[in-house]
Amino acid sequence: MEKKKSKANQHDYESLHELFKPHIESFDYLVDSGIETLLSNIHPVEIHDSITGRTLKNILSKAFHSSHCFDLLILIGFISVLRPSELLFMVLMLMFVFLQCRQAGISYEGKFMLEVFLKNDDALLPSISEQSNLTYLPFSLHTSLCHLRDCDPSHLLRQKEEATEMGGYFIVNGLEKLVRLLIMQKRNHPMSVIRPNFRERQEGFTDKAIMIRCVRDDQSSVSNRLYYLQNGSARFGFWIRGKEYLLPVGIVLKALIDTNDLEIDASLTCSYSEEYQGRKGAVATQLVGERVRIILDEVRDLSLSTHLQCLQHIGEYFKPVMDGLENKNHSDVGTSVLRDYIFVHLQKNDEKFNLLIFMLQKLFALVDHTAAPDNMDALQNQEVLLPGHLVAIYLKEKLQEWLFKARRTLKEELQKNGKKFDFLSVVHIKKVLDKNPSKNVGMAIENMLKTGRIVTQSGIDLQQSGGMTVAAERLNFLRFISHFRSVHRGAAFAGQRNTSVRKLLPEAWGFLCPVHTPDGEPCGLLNHMASTCRITSFFDSQGNVKDFFKIRLSILNILAGIGMTPSLPKLVRAGPPLVLSVLLDGCVVGSISSDIAEKAVSHLRKLKLFPSSGIPEDLEVGYVPLSFGGAYPGLYLFTSPSRFLRPVRNISVSSNGPRDIELIGPFEQAYMEIRCPDGGNGGRRDGFPATHEEIHPTGMLSVVANLTPFSDHNQSPRNMYQCQMAKQTMAFSSQALRFRADQKLYHLQTPQSPIVRTAAYSKYHIDEFPTGTNAIVAVLAYTGYDMEDAMILNKSAVERGMFHGTIYQVETIDLEDQKELSDQAQSLFARSNIETYSSIDVDGLPYVGQMLHPDEQYYSVHNTVNNSTKTFKLKGSEPVVVDYVAVDGGTKQKHPQKANNRSLQYVNIRFRRPRNPIIGDKFSSRHGQKGVCSQLWPDIDMPFSGVTGIRPDLIINPHAFPSRMTIGMLLESIAAKGGSLSGKFVDATPFPGALNKAGEESSDSRVDELGPLLASYGFNYHGLEVLYSGVLGTELTCEIFIGPVYYQRLRHMVSDKFQVRSTGRVDQVTRQPIKGRKRGGGIRFGEMERDAMLAHGAAYLLHDRLHTCSDHHIADVCSLCGSILTATIMQPLKKAVREIGGLPPGSTPKKITCHACKTSKGMETVAMPYVFKYLAAELAAMNVKMTLHLGNGAEALIECRLSN
Amino acid sequence: MDGVVSYQRFPKIKIREVKDEYLKFELRETDASVANALRRVMISEVPTIAIDLVEIEVNSSVLNDEFIAHRLGLIPLTSDRAMSMRFSRDCDACDGDGQCEYCSVEFQLSVRCDQDQTLDVTSQDLISLDPSVVPVDVAARSTSSGFDATENRGIIIVKLRRGQELRLRAIARKGIGKDHAKWSPAATVTFMYEPDIHINEDMMESLSLEDKRNWVESSPTKVFDIDPSTHQVVVVDPEAYTYDEEVIKKAEAMGKPGLVEIYAKDTDFIFTVESTGAIKSSQLVLNAIQVLKQKLDAVRLTEDTEEADEQFGELGAHMRGG
Repeated sequence: MEKKKSKANQHDYESLHELFKPHIESFDYLVDSGIETLLSNIHPVEIHDSITGRTLKNILSKAFHSSHCFDLLILIGFISVLRPSELLFMVLMLMFVFLQCRQAGISYEGKFMLEVFLKNDDALLPSISEQSNLTYLPFSLHTSLCHLRDCDPSHLLRQKEEATEMGGYFIVNGLEKLVRLLIMQKRNHPMSVIRPNFRERQEGFTDKAIMIRCVRDDQSSVSNRLYYLQNGSARFGFWIRGKEYLLPVGIVLKALIDTNDLEIDASLTCSYSEEYQGRKGAVATQLVGERVRIILDEVRDLSLSTHLQCLQHIGEYFKPVMDGLENKNHSDVGTSVLRDYIFVHLQKNDEKFNLLIFMLQKLFALVDHTAAPDNMDALQNQEVLLPGHLVAIYLKEKLQEWLFKARRTLKEELQKNGKKFDFLSVVHIKKVLDKNPSKNVGMAIENMLKTGRIVTQSGIDLQQSGGMTVAAERLNFLRFISHFRSVHRGAAFAGQRNTSVRKLLPEAWGFLCPVHTPDGEPCGLLNHMASTCRITSFFDSQGNVKDFFKIRLSILNILAGIGMTPSLPKLVRAGPPLVLSVLLDGCVVGSISSDIAEKAVSHLRKLKLFPSSGIPEDLEVGYVPLSFGGAYPGLYLFTSPSRFLRPVRNISVSSNGPRDIELIGPFEQAYMEIRCPDGGNGGRRDGFPATHEEIHPTGMLSVVANLTPFSDHNQSPRNMYQCQMAKQTMAFSSQALRFRADQKLYHLQTPQSPIVRTAAYSKYHIDEFPTGTNAIVAVLAYTGYDMEDAMILNKSAVERGMFHGTIYQVETIDLEDQKELSDQAQSLFARSNIETYSSIDVDGLPYVGQMLHPDEQYYSVHNTVNNSTKTFKLKGSEPVVVDYVAVDGGTKQKHPQKANNRSLQYVNIRFRRPRNPIIGDKFSSRHGQKGVCSQLWPDIDMPFSGVTGIRPDLIINPHAFPSRMTIGMLLESIAAKGGSLSGKFVDATPFPGALNKAGEESSDSRVDELGPLLASYGFNYHGLEVLYSGVLGTELTCEIFIGPVYYQRLRHMVSDKFQVRSTGRVDQVTRQPIKGRKRGGGIRFGEMERDAMLAHGAAYLLHDRLHTCSDHHIADVCSLCGSILTATIMQPLKKAVREIGGLPPGSTPKKITCHACKTSKGMETVAMPYVFKYLAAELAAMNVKMTLHLGNGAEALIECRLSN
Repeated sequence: MDGVVSYQRFPKIKIREVKDEYLKFELRETDASVANALRRVMISEVPTIAIDLVEIEVNSSVLNDEFIAHRLGLIPLTSDRAMSMRFSRDCDACDGDGQCEYCSVEFQLSVRCDQDQTLDVTSQDLISLDPSVVPVDVAARSTSSGFDATENRGIIIVKLRRGQELRLRAIARKGIGKDHAKWSPAATVTFMYEPDIHINEDMMESLSLEDKRNWVESSPTKVFDIDPSTHQVVVVDPEAYTYDEEVIKKAEAMGKPGLVEIYAKDTDFIFTVESTGAIKSSQLVLNAIQVLKQKLDAVRLTEDTEEADEQFGELGAHMRGG
C-alpha cells in the first residue's frame, strides 16, 4: 500500500495520533464496511396495491417470498460515499479545503449516494437515478476518505493545517465538533442487577433481574431483561419503540426452538447437583427445579405447548406493533419478533435458547444469593460508544425512517390516483419518492453533529438524546486533547442525587485517570482515559478490517483443542462447580471443566501475544473463577469493538521486549494478578502469584495529569486542580494561528519550554504548543500584596514580555443573513462617498492592521434598493486591532442559483485584543496553585540576591504551602534551579522508583537527588538564598526560597470580567439599573448584602445602595386622597406668553394637581423607590387602591384596600 | 554651626575589574542607603535610548505588529548621547510630538524575503539615521573589540519565508527604566556587604582534619580551605560567602558553636554591574551618580522654594512622582 510509505514520515507524531484513534478508527469502519453491514440490516419495505392487486398479485406470486403477496419492494442497495471534495469544491482548487470550511462556516461533507432498488416480481426494476438521491454526510477529519488522511506534517502545513493535526472531529458549519465518548453497558454480556424500582414494574416483580445489551454487527443495539418474579418465575422484557413488553420466559424458550418441557427442565436444572451443594462455586440450589416447574406451568396455563403455538402466540400479540408485517401470518410475525428484538447479537435460535438458559441460571443464582450482583457502575461492565458507531446507528435509523416514509407516500399516491399510477414505472415512483428527498437523511446526521441532539422515535437504545457532541475548543492544546480523551458517563446521571456513579472504583484502574476529572457538577461523570488506554476497533494492529467470523472460529478451534465441550448441538448438562460455561461475545459456545479453565486461560493469553495464532491481540479473556457467593463464574471471551484496553507486561511468558506486552480489558483485569514493577507484592498472598506487571505507573494517568511534574509529591486534589487549570491556560494555541477562524482564540506571545518536565511532555510533543513561562518565583511575604493567593509580578519582567498575550476574535458578517425577507434588497459592502471615514476602506471593510477604538465605525453596508449606507460600530470597551479580513471567494453558496456575479456577502473580520498582564489577571503554577496578580511591582523594589543580582519575576506568599502541601512545586523550584544552572532539562516524571527492582534502593527523597546539584554550583542545598530588600538594601531577616517555576497564565482576565458603573441605563418599567456586564448594567445588591448592611447598622449606605443609586424617585402624592397615581401636571400657559415676548423660556414651576380631587391643594412630594409607584399601578390594575397617609413618624401609613 | 557633629562621610570607590559591559568595584565608607540608591538609580533612572514608536507599513510576517514593535523596543541601542538628549515630553523643538533631532532618532527597516531559505530579520537591518545611535551588536561589530562577528548575526527580530515582507519606521526616544524596562541600561546591578570572618583558631585546632574538611565543605561556595601543608583552615575568598550561614550551622551541628564568626561590614560594599551594552558599565556608574546628584539637588531646591519644581521640569517630576 502506498499509504504505508507516508506513514513512516508521520512517525513523528505517532503518540499523538494514537490518542485520537478511537475517534478515527470507528468512523473509518463506518466508511469502510460499516455502511454495507448497516444496509443489509435495513428491512426492505413492501407495498401492496389493493386496487390493481389482482393483476399484480399474479405477477408477484412468483416473487421471492412466494407465500405472500406483495407488490413492490424497495431496497436501498449500494450506497456509495464519495470523498468530500469531489462535489463540494469542484470550482476551487483542492487546496485549503479545511481552511475554506472553517472560514466560510460550511461543513466538510462527502457525497453520499443511495441507490434505491425496486423489486417487483422477478424483475429488478432499474435503480432510481442516483443524482436525485444524494445527500451529504459530514466527515471526520483524518478518516479514510478525508483529504488529510496519511498526510505527512509538511503536507499538512501546505494545507495550512497544524503539523500535528490529528483529526477525529467533524467540521459542521465551520465549527469543529466531536462526538463525545459515552459509557455504555458492556455489550452481549448478561449482567445481574438488583434495582428496587424493578418491583414497581408490575405486581409480583422482585428487584432482581438479568440485563443484557445485545448489539448487532451494525452496532445498533437492543436491550433485553429477565425479571425474577416473586412466584419463582421469570419474565422476559424487551423494548419495541420505546415501550417495554414482557413475556413469560417459558413462551420465549419454547418459541425459540422446538423443544419439550423435559429438555428445558434438564437444561435448567443440570447445574444443580446434591453432591456439590455448599461447595465452592456451587451456584444452583435445589429451588431451581421448582422454579422450572412454575415456568413450564405458566406456559401450560396459557394452553400453549408446542413450538408453533408459542410462536403464533407471540405473533398474534405483537402484530399490531410490528411495522410492515400486517399481511404476514402469526408465526412469521413471531419469528421476526424473535429475530429483531430478542438477543439480536445472535443469529441462530439455538444460540438464543442457550443464552436464555444461561441467563436464567444466572438469575436463579442471584436470587439464591449464590452469586453476587454485577455492579453497573464499575468499568468492568462497561464499554464506550464510539463516534462512528453512533453515526452508523443514527444513519441506519434515518434510512429506515426514510424508507417507511417513502412507502407511506407511495401508498397515499396509490390511494389517490391508483389508476394512473404505474407501479412498474420508475419515473412515476421516482416522482413520488422525490417528495421525500433523501437529502433529509444527510441533514439529520449533520444536525445531530451540530446540536448533539438525536431525534428518533425508537430511541435506538441510547440513554440520552442530547449532548452527543461537543465543540473541540482550541483554547490550548491540552484542552483540545482532553476533549478527545474524555469519556462521559451519560447525561442521565448528571441530574441524579445519588453520587454512587461518580465514585472512583478500583475497576477503573489503568483505564480512566483517577486525577483528571473536573471538580463540581460533572465530577466523576466526565472522566478521561488514561494515557495508555485504547479502545478496541474493527481494525487489527495491521490496519485491516477484522473478520469476526474467522476470529471466532479460530478461538473456538483453540478452545476445543484445550478441552472445551461445544454446546451445539446440545447444551452440556452440568453446572458451575464442575464445569464452567464459555461465552464468546455473548454466545454460549460450550463448557469447560473448571479444573482446566485456569490452564486454558493462560494458554489463550499466550496465544494473544502471537498474531499468527489467529487469536486477536485484543481478545478479552474474562475468567471468573469459582467462589463463595462472588460473581457468577464462567469464562467470558470478548472480541467485540469499543471495549477499553490497556497494555501490561505478561511475565508468565519468558521472552521480553514487545512480545510480552499483552492488552487487557477492564473485565478480565478484575480477576488478574498484576503487580507494580517496583518489586513490592502489593499485599498479594502467596497463593496468587502475579502473572502480569504494570509497564509504568504513569500509565494510569491521563495525558494532562501526566504533565504535572512531581505529581507524586502533591496532595491529590491539587493535581486535580492542575488538570483543570492546564485546560484553561492561555497558551500557544495553534501553529496555524494565522489561518484559524475560531470564534475566540487565546494566544500566549512569549511561551517557554518548561525546564522541569515529565516523560509525557516530550512523548506528546507539548513543546509544539507550550503553555507557560519559567518564572523566577520567590516565596516570601513582601509588601502585603501577596496575601490570600495574590501574587506580585515584576513590572520590568512583564515589560520584557513575560505572559504577554493576545485574544483573537472573529466577527462573521453575512449579509445574506441580515437581509430582510424582501428579496429584492441587495446589500453589499461599500463605503459612502459622501462622508469620510478614518477606519473604513473603499471596499467598506476595515483596514488590516488598523487599531479600532470602541464605538468607532469599522464596516459599512450599502443597500442598492434604497441607496442608503449603514455603518457599524465596534462594540465592547477595549481597543482592538484588525488582524485580518477574510472574504468569501464563493465557497459558501447557500443559493447556488444566485451565486453568479454576486457581490461579496460573507466576510470574517478577525480582531486582536492585546492582553498583557494587569492587576487582576489569573496565573497558576502546575501544582494547582492559582493566584491573582495584585501588583506590578517595580523591579528596583523587588528583593534581590546579593550574589547573582537576580530579582524575582513573581512573588508568592509562603502561606500557600502548608495547608495545600504541594511539595511538588517546591521540588520543581529546586529542580529547575539546578536545571537552569547545569543547562539541562530535568526529568520530573512521577513514581521514578517504580521501575527499580527490589534491592536497589534509590534515595528516599527527590531533594537528595536535586540538592547536591545546587550545592555544586554554590547554592544552598535546599534552594534558599539570602535576599536583600530592594527598597532598603538591607538583608532580609530570613533566607528566601527562590527558583524558577513554570507558571501558566489562565484565561480568566479582569478585562473580560470587571463590571463597574455609577449611572447608566435603567429598566424601563422599574427604573432600576439593568443587569448584565455587556450592557453596562450594575451588580445586584441582593438580600444577603442588604442583611449584612442591616446587621452593621449601616443605614446610610443601605439607603444609598437601595434607593439613591437605584430607583430614587420623587413622587407627587395627594395627601387628600392618598393616591400616588392621580397626580397630573397642568401645563402652565405662561410659557407661550414668554416666547412671544422674546424672553428665554424660563423654568416656570409646574403645577401639579390631583386628578381625582381636582385640586392641587394637597399635593406633596415624597421620595420613594420608583417600583413602589409601579406597585401601586399594578395593584390599581387589580382593583386594589393604595392609599398613603402622610405624616411625621408613626402616623405615616400605607393602606391597601380593594375598591368597589 | 558649632556643637553639631558632622556625619559627613567621604565614600571611596575602588575599581576592581572593568570591561565594557561588566564592572566590579568596592564602595567603602558609606552605608546601605547610599549603596542601594546607587543600585536603584542604575537600574531605573539612568536614561538610555530605545525604540518607542513604530509605524508599520507592511508586515506579512508571522508575528503580529505589536509583537514586532515590542521586540524592537527591547533592542538595546547605543545611548552615549542619552544624557544630553531631551525627553520628548519636555522637548520644545518639536512641541512634544517627539520627532525632532533633539529628542528622537529615526530608524528604518525594510526587508523582504525572496529566497527559499528562511530569512532572519535582525537588528542589523535596522538602519539608523543617526550613526551614534545604533543597536549595540551593530556597534560592537564595527569596533569589533573582542566581539566574534562571524558567530553573532545580530538580534533576531523576526524570521521571514519567501514572499513575506517587513517594512517599518521606528522612532527611538530617551527614557528611563522606571517608565519601561526597555530603557533600563543595567542587566544586573547588585551589591553585597563585605564579610568580616573570624575563625576561632583555638577551637578550630581542636578539630580533626576530617572534621575540618567536613566543615569547610559545608559551605556551598568556596570560602575556606585547608592549607595542605599546615592543615590549618584558612579563608581563601571571603567575598564568596553568601551569608547563607551554612558554616555556622555546621559548626553548631558539630557541637562547636562560635567556631567562626562572620559579620557583615555595613559600611563596605562590593558592587557588580552588568550593562546591556547601551552604555558602558563604567559610564553607567558615572551617569547614575550624576542622576543621583541631580535628584539631591532637587531636594535641596524644594526646601528653598516650593515653586522651584515647576522650573526644574524633569527633576520636579522626580520630586513629585518619587
